[in-house]
Amino acid sequence: MSKRLSPVSLSLVAGANRRDVSDVELAHGLAAGDAWAIGVAWYRFAPMVLTLAERSLGSRSDAEDLAQDVFLNVFRSKKTLREPEKLRSFIYSLAIFTLKTELRRRKVRGWLSFLTPEALVELSSRTVDVESRDLLRRFYALLDRLSPRDRLIFSLRELESMTVDEIAEVTGTSVSTVKRSLGHAVTRLSRWILADADLADVFDTRRWQR
Amino acid sequence: MSAREPSSELRAIHELARLVRETVHPPTAAALDRGLSLLTARVALVRVRRPKVAYWSLLAVVAAACAWLGVQATSLFLGSPTEVPALVYHVEGGSLLAGGYLRDSGEDGVRLIFDDGTKVELLAGAHGRLRTVDKEGTRVVVDQGTASFDVARTKDRRWFVEAGPFSVAVKGTFFSVSWEPASELFELRLQHGRVIVSGPIAGGEIELRGGQRLVVNLPKAETLISETPFDAFAAPSSSVPALPSAALALSAPASSVLEKVPSAVVAAASAKTERKPSWSEYLAHGHWDRILAEAEERGIDTTLSTASSDELFALADAARYRRRSDLARDALLAQRRRFSGTARSLDAAFLLGRVEESHDRARALIWYDEYLTRAPTGSYAAEAWGRKVVLTNELKGREFAQPIAEEYLRRFPDGSYARAVRALCAEP
Repeated sequence: MSKRLSPVSLSLVAGANRRDVSDVELAHGLAAGDAWAIGVAWYRFAPMVLTLAERSLGSRSDAEDLAQDVFLNVFRSKKTLREPEKLRSFIYSLAIFTLKTELRRRKVRGWLSFLTPEALVELSSRTVDVESRDLLRRFYALLDRLSPRDRLIFSLRELESMTVDEIAEVTGTSVSTVKRSLGHAVTRLSRWILADADLADVFDTRRWQR
Repeated sequence: MSAREPSSELRAIHELARLVRETVHPPTAAALDRGLSLLTARVALVRVRRPKVAYWSLLAVVAAACAWLGVQATSLFLGSPTEVPALVYHVEGGSLLAGGYLRDSGEDGVRLIFDDGTKVELLAGAHGRLRTVDKEGTRVVVDQGTASFDVARTKDRRWFVEAGPFSVAVKGTFFSVSWEPASELFELRLQHGRVIVSGPIAGGEIELRGGQRLVVNLPKAETLISETPFDAFAAPSSSVPALPSAALALSAPASSVLEKVPSAVVAAASAKTERKPSWSEYLAHGHWDRILAEAEERGIDTTLSTASSDELFALADAARYRRRSDLARDALLAQRRRFSGTARSLDAAFLLGRVEESHDRARALIWYDEYLTRAPTGSYAAEAWGRKVVLTNELKGREFAQPIAEEYLRRFPDGSYARAVRALCAEP
């Protein structure tokens, strides 16, 4: 008669190599509430979430906050993951959902606030020059003026280089809605760039050489 | 609109998007470690609360109208430690903006006063945010500059202070934190109590006790702990918390080490270092070229990204006096970018207008408008209104300038532009 090992003992023995587990094993670990699974999920997927959030929000600090919320939601809703092999998609969808909520919250706060703060761009790169930082600040100030949905879809298309079909899938909207939102965002951004003498000048006069 | 224009704007959008993609880098290992430690703490709290949440969720379905009162009553009856009410606070010397950003209204910094007696003060020139205030605790972020904390001792609440890649776990202490993102210098002075600092430092975590000072210079990978004399708390460093020269000499280069340095040694060695005149002093004595020479010696880009607010202002003035408009513009833009929300940042808007007048008067007008919108009663308000009248008259004609001129006379009847403005108004 074979001796049955307790889950706790197995966890301790295999702890050192947990980073090699598959997504399916990781999903089962999360569902079981194993402590190691939180760490492995974080190291495996947090870079993806942090990068997505930082590009979309223009702030590393806000991206870190959002990543915390995403993974807390992953932990809370781990039992709703029906297809463990789709753990990455599950986390990405939660990240998109949380990002959309954050963009909506920002918009509402912007409406309620009497003082609209300047766009606070705080990206992680240490190598950006003064001119680029100024451009980024202006760009994010324009993005702040888009509706949350248009901004999210624009960010996924232009900053994450996703296809229209992929965007439709992760945002749970139709392809035609994505195309319409994208067109709307690009049209408005174009108009605003034209109206921003400095931005238009940078690109028109080809001073912007990288 | 010509046929070429749309493609030009689209190209701008694609270039900007590319700039964002190139600028955002994956998180560092230290950032991931810090994030995980925070996540683990939050998950632990969720685990503690989970049965209670589930119970009340079920009750809410059965009797939604009574659920909230039920939760409150049960919590009081059980005396649950997780049902601590959130802190109430108010802001002095400034305001709380969207996103929790704290903006000071003067030059004395901004203070957060909590109802449990905790006081947080962002000193002049510092930027910070109140990130969360809830039952789990309070998180304050110091984005730049120095902040002091007098945290009341409570057993139920946790305080976190974040500064750059560093996280400080607090319980009942009095300390100050400085963070200069451009030069990546972190400093913590602990007067009493105990804090745990985590981040890119040796061992990942350092516990400090009362009277200790921690200075971390990330570019040089230097970490220093020293005993801090108590009078040092009377005047915490306000901007760049540079390591004392003696301390730098004592810490090993290119490696993260901990050195216990007696404060007397640091003080004695520092005293031997001859003090170099500041750029403000150079400016006061008319030594503009020395300022420009030192800026070039450091490297203009480095200066723009690491110089203090005082230095940037002195550099901008020196550059303006020497008619180096590009450098003056860059220094003023750096002032606005790095020290946004301060009085100096507003002054920089006005001075940008002065710089632009000799190049692009339309742009100068925009800067004057920016200044007057943000600081309608600022120290340069009269001058900005006057320049606005003059430029509007030159660029758009008297018809547009006259209403602005009338407004100028109403506000500043004895202003330095009053005579010229009256003449403009009197013209047929």
